Amino acid sequence: MKLIILPLYIINLMIIPFLFMGIIRKAKALMQNRLGASVFQPFYDFAKLLKKGETVSETASCIFLLAPKIVLSAALIAGILIPWSGIPAPQFLQSAANFILIIYMLGVGKFFSMLAAMDAGSSFGGLGASREAYISILIEPILLIGISALALSSGSMNMSEIFAKGFSPFVGVLCGAAFLIAALAELSRLPVDDPTTHLELTMIHEAMILENSGRNLALMEYASAIRACIFLGLSAQTFLRVSPLYKNLPVLAEFIIGIAALFIIGIFVAVVEGFIVRLNWRRVPNFIAFAAVLSILAALVAVAKG
Amino acid sequence: MMNLSDIELFAVAAVVAAVWMCGVTTITRLLWGLAMQTTMIAVIAALHGIEIQSFKYLIFAGVLLIIKAVATPVFLAWIANKIEVKRDKGTGLNPALTLFAGCGALALGYFIAPKIVQSQSGTAGGAGMAIALILIGMIFMLTKKLAISQVIGFLVLENGITLYALTQTHGMPLMVEMGIIFDVLVGVMLAGLVMFRLNRSFEHIDVTKFRRLRY
Repeated sequence: MKLIILPLYIINLMIIPFLFMGIIRKAKALMQNRLGASVFQPFYDFAKLLKKGETVSETASCIFLLAPKIVLSAALIAGILIPWSGIPAPQFLQSAANFILIIYMLGVGKFFSMLAAMDAGSSFGGLGASREAYISILIEPILLIGISALALSSGSMNMSEIFAKGFSPFVGVLCGAAFLIAALAELSRLPVDDPTTHLELTMIHEAMILENSGRNLALMEYASAIRACIFLGLSAQTFLRVSPLYKNLPVLAEFIIGIAALFIIGIFVAVVEGFIVRLNWRRVPNFIAFAAVLSILAALVAVAKG
Repeated sequence: MMNLSDIELFAVAAVVAAVWMCGVTTITRLLWGLAMQTTMIAVIAALHGIEIQSFKYLIFAGVLLIIKAVATPVFLAWIANKIEVKRDKGTGLNPALTLFAGCGALALGYFIAPKIVQSQSGTAGGAGMAIALILIGMIFMLTKKLAISQVIGFLVLENGITLYALTQTHGMPLMVEMGIIFDVLVGVMLAGLVMFRLNRSFEHIDVTKFRRLRY
């Protein structure tokens, strides 16, 4: 059992995130009638960036150099603790898999990426960081209320147990939809922010990592790929666990189905991005309000049934 | 542990459509929401008819579907197109807050319904959803700016009353239900005519500006 599960963690955290980003980019390129880069392009980019030298702003302090490592560590820990691909947290970490801890673990990573963006001293970084902070204020209650509803419905605060025990289908569907919308905002994807624009005043994530280069940038990109997997995978798992069929399967089967669902959601996101345009920045809170209402409804249903 | 029956599930879907309508501002989307919601109620009527094996509920469902879920939204869309209104930004509450108000109405309906419904007649869940629909219709009529969305709010409220009647009183005569539907149809037609006239004489249908007289 343990021998099978160890390589799964490695695949989970080192291969799937890059592959996922590659698949999203490929699907998006195909939607736009372009051939697009191969799905393995993010691996090559990562390897190339690792070999390159770094340019660091003169005004930057040690936080700027330290931040990518902290961001990546936080993302990796959250990636192990959250069962986003169907495999639960390892036995010895079970006691740490409390959902409140995990949400704020993601918050630590985001806090340091914002600090690093402001530390470099460029005006773009500060702008991106302020917008990121604004979005995260709106997203955090959605995640907290949504996962609380799941926890209430399954009767456990442990992230692995929530997904292993299962929850009522209605709560699952509402929470899954809320997480999907929240993930789009959190990962700065299309209705909220356009991930392909460069050097525009509207972008969020790209503006924050504008000053990073070389190894620094590689680690940041890796961390953001893991975050993308965590958030969309959380939504995919919540939808999957609604079905009674996806329960008590062998670990490998759960893993494969989970990854397939993750990729399907990624392709879905890419296809939707082909049809819609970026929202006016002032309308973003209205869009996120839909996710908030979905998670509040889920919480209401969970409370009423409990 | 409460289990949702089919009827309650569709009632919840109708209310979710109504809550969604609170958050959108385009007239077209409001009308889509209204059509979806009325379709859900027609489905509830049909399910109820199948459950108690009564043919009149199936007729009622068909009439509901044709008149209130298709004809009324199409008519209102035609009017909106004719007098060139696209967006209703609302007054007092912005769309995000209206969404939360709709959510609050749903919670209120859900938690007060078991207190006012007699336990043996009908399902408390359906009644709660009906009360939520009525409250959401009232929120619409209070917070929307254009006359056309107030008509939509009235239709949501009317849907709530229909849902309440369907889930609570298991024997409203068919004639009464039909009469209500045709009354609503005539009401919407009249409202449409009034909107035309208003638009011609005021060049807008913004109810917040109607206090000022035109000379």
